[in-house]
Amino acid sequence: MSSSAAPLIQVRAVSKTFRTSQELVPAIQRLSIDVRQGEFVSLVGPSGCGKTSLMMIIGGLLDADHGEVIIHGQQVRGPFTNLGIGFQNAELLDWRTSLENILLQIEMRKLPVKQYRAVALNLLRQVGLDGFADKYPYELSGGMRQRVALCRALVHDPDILLLDEPFGALDALTRDQMNYDLQRIWLEKRKTAILVTHSIEEAVWLSDRVLVMTPRPTDVAEDIAIDLPRPRDLEVKTDPKFNHYTGHIRRIFQQLGVFRMPEIRRGN
Amino acid sequence: MVTSPKTRASVSDRGLCGFAWIAPIVTALVCLSLWELSVRWFHVPIYLLPAPSEVVRKMFTDYKLFYEQSLPTLAAIVLGFGMAVAVGVPIAIFMVYSRLFRHSVQAILITAQVLPKVALAPLFIVWFGFGLLPKVLMTFLISFFPIVIDSVIGLASVRPESLMLVRSMGAGRWQAFWKVRLPYALPSMFGGFKVAITFAVVGTLVAEFVGSDSGLGYLLVMARGNLDTLTVFAVIGWLVIIGFAFYYAIELLEKFVLRNRGRNRARDLGAGL
Repeated sequence: MSSSAAPLIQVRAVSKTFRTSQELVPAIQRLSIDVRQGEFVSLVGPSGCGKTSLMMIIGGLLDADHGEVIIHGQQVRGPFTNLGIGFQNAELLDWRTSLENILLQIEMRKLPVKQYRAVALNLLRQVGLDGFADKYPYELSGGMRQRVALCRALVHDPDILLLDEPFGALDALTRDQMNYDLQRIWLEKRKTAILVTHSIEEAVWLSDRVLVMTPRPTDVAEDIAIDLPRPRDLEVKTDPKFNHYTGHIRRIFQQLGVFRMPEIRRGN
Repeated sequence: MVTSPKTRASVSDRGLCGFAWIAPIVTALVCLSLWELSVRWFHVPIYLLPAPSEVVRKMFTDYKLFYEQSLPTLAAIVLGFGMAVAVGVPIAIFMVYSRLFRHSVQAILITAQVLPKVALAPLFIVWFGFGLLPKVLMTFLISFFPIVIDSVIGLASVRPESLMLVRSMGAGRWQAFWKVRLPYALPSMFGGFKVAITFAVVGTLVAEFVGSDSGLGYLLVMARGNLDTLTVFAVIGWLVIIGFAFYYAIELLEKFVLRNRGRNRARDLGAGL
């Protein structure tokens, strides 16, 4: 997969060190990544390796100590707004219904809310939440909340999707469903997407490219192009090629000394 | 997670319909009856301890006196509490946004709180006379602290991810405050308001006690001077009613403002503890 055009997102030698009361914790060290237009890239790595910080730096929500992020050929300074973000905890506002939570995106951007109502309702329908528009977050399950959050990340039709472990807290069945929905939406809209995950299977199944990250201070250990035909169904997970990729990534983690196997996640 | 909230909620609801709303009335009636019976049984003289039935009769037969004297008291409570909200909430906002401001005012705030305000009351009279002003200031001083503290806690409790989310939407400080930070803080702020309103009643009374020419506190001091214990109790009765009314007014407002929040979810799901 080689494209002659400049990558849409360029991360150039970014470093970030956090200061705690006692010590300096280097989270990211001279990390460089390119993501092409319309590409689905996953970052897989051990917990606390700085993936979330990297996402926030790409989105311009966190300043890097060194290095730069270039999107659409322009250096990111301050929040980059042509994107949709998904967080691990959905981050729905308790006092807003599903629909109102999605439309927060529109209100904040001072876009015409009335016109986007239909878009939001249509997105809800696409993720199987027909009839849940007027429900409050406390009336929804974890998976439903993540679906609403996904709609919120998409409603303004951004160029870029940053998904920071959005399905990490979901059970396996819901997670498969979410992956399926995400793939379908991605195939339809072809957004440039960066997904942070701890799940090797999820990363391989969803992505065009998987970046295997080292423990802190994080860097790319290996950049693996996933050559599996799309649309992918769950059967792909039994494909020898699929297993070759997951096995390979697992071996990289073993070599890196990540003894805690990445697919063992915090409960919830 | 939301397996069967309906069935479990209905169980606890049925319990509520049967008992919960009668329970406080029953408790009150039992206590009052014990009081009434002991006073009658032991023939306690009325200047020591009047029976509750006498107190209630006094409260309503002399309602005109109490009504007139309660007006200045009510005014001081409302103005003092209103001032505490109007000053306390903005101070809390500045404290959350500016570390320098927070460090600057923290010491003053705590000093103002630990300082016994009763000791200030005579000074207020020296400075501001016997009118409404010293009462309002005392009420303000006493109810100000919980409002500031709980507002700061609430405003600081916003999830950083929520702020990042709205920043990615291009929101400015002002939008982030109105749409995210303030709504996050409201439950905690109402907690502070509820504590403060009960303090406000006390504050006004303290001021009226120390020096005033009108109000329920003034009536209390006069009645005590005449050994008119029945009137003292009647005043206390009215003060209890006023306190309840203010408290529930705030709670009603809270219920309205926070009507869409899934609070008490633990109870609704029967989680216990």
